[in-house]
Amino acid sequence: MMNWTQRIVLLALALSMLGLTLELIRRRRLREEYAVLWVCTGIMILVFVVMPNLLFILSGWLQLDRTVLMTFVCFLFLAAIVMHYSVVISKHSEREKHLAQELALLRDELEKLRAEMREAPPMPAAPKPRPPALRT
Amino acid sequence: MDGEQTTQPEETPLSLSGRRALVVVPAYNEADAIGRTVRDLRRHAPWADVLVVNDGSVDDTGEAARAAGAKVVDLPVNLGIGGAVQTGYRYAYENDYDLAFQFDGDGQHRARLLQELARPILADEADMVVGSRFLKPRGMTARGSRRVGITILAAAVSLVTGLRITDPTSGFRGGGRRVIQLFAQTYPQDYPEPESLVLVHKQGLRLMEVPATMRRRRGGVSSISTLRGVHYMAKVLLAVLMEALKAPVQIEEELA
Repeated sequence: MMNWTQRIVLLALALSMLGLTLELIRRRRLREEYAVLWVCTGIMILVFVVMPNLLFILSGWLQLDRTVLMTFVCFLFLAAIVMHYSVVISKHSEREKHLAQELALLRDELEKLRAEMREAPPMPAAPKPRPPALRT
Repeated sequence: MDGEQTTQPEETPLSLSGRRALVVVPAYNEADAIGRTVRDLRRHAPWADVLVVNDGSVDDTGEAARAAGAKVVDLPVNLGIGGAVQTGYRYAYENDYDLAFQFDGDGQHRARLLQELARPILADEADMVVGSRFLKPRGMTARGSRRVGITILAAAVSLVTGLRITDPTSGFRGGGRRVIQLFAQTYPQDYPEPESLVLVHKQGLRLMEVPATMRRRRGGVSSISTLRGVHYMAKVLLAVLMEALKAPVQIEEELA
């Protein structure tokens, strides 16, 4: 069983974790979208600090040693966070690719228009509209 | 730029009947070889426009390609082969090309054989045609470990698609309007050659292999070294299987 000093230290840690998350959002350095996991983490720690018996009950149910249980829970949590990041990175590399391609094609289009302008400066025929960008 | 004189059977000249064709040449730091490749294409496949996709090269690839008479699109960053080739398909889509082909910048593909890829598409016998090094009668053989690797990969792609695929890593290929639209929208990034075969088949498009010889590489080295072969194989096999499991792509309505 935890003594009061331990509980206070852990409580302070959990609260500062939550505080840090909120502060980062407030300063616009962390988007809410990505902060959800961190808020959840903070709340989880808070719950276990306030009700440490929960851990005993859980380990009793699952017939698992408390340390094994905690290690397992921590691992799952970190794995979930890393998985979330992989998804975000995949999304961003797809977007980055799309943007680079659009940029290259638009620059080519611009060069073509410039060349046309040089050839026939007054009233060029209205160029064919470009099809709308594909959604990917 | 094709030095050798092989006796070609007399063939009827390619008739595009008003359709427009584009050859996409992805190039990353190929300044030495790209000029010859472009001139080769302009001489032996004059019926197609040549687009070099300069994939963020740090050398003079873009200038060399322009000097040789190609259209050039410069990517601001290096996207890798998948992203570069897809840029070409997007260009083909937006500029209303009816056929688009892929052609390596390093000179291993033969411009004269492009028409063999074009014929089945023009005759509406296939949506996508791949030039295979291993199909008879022109069949050649790769050596040692590469042969084993390609055989395994071919077996995997054949298994997944139910088609007989002999050269899944061949980058000498082309497609019609439906393939252009599909690839403009979705194109695999990691191992695009084998993966895109699975993608095309899954979308219900018709895939065909035709025999095609290739040259030894002029410049640059293969992206697959023997040492990394096994690692590469494992990753490609995984990617091909994953591609087979992915949900089909929803094709957007083409704008009339």
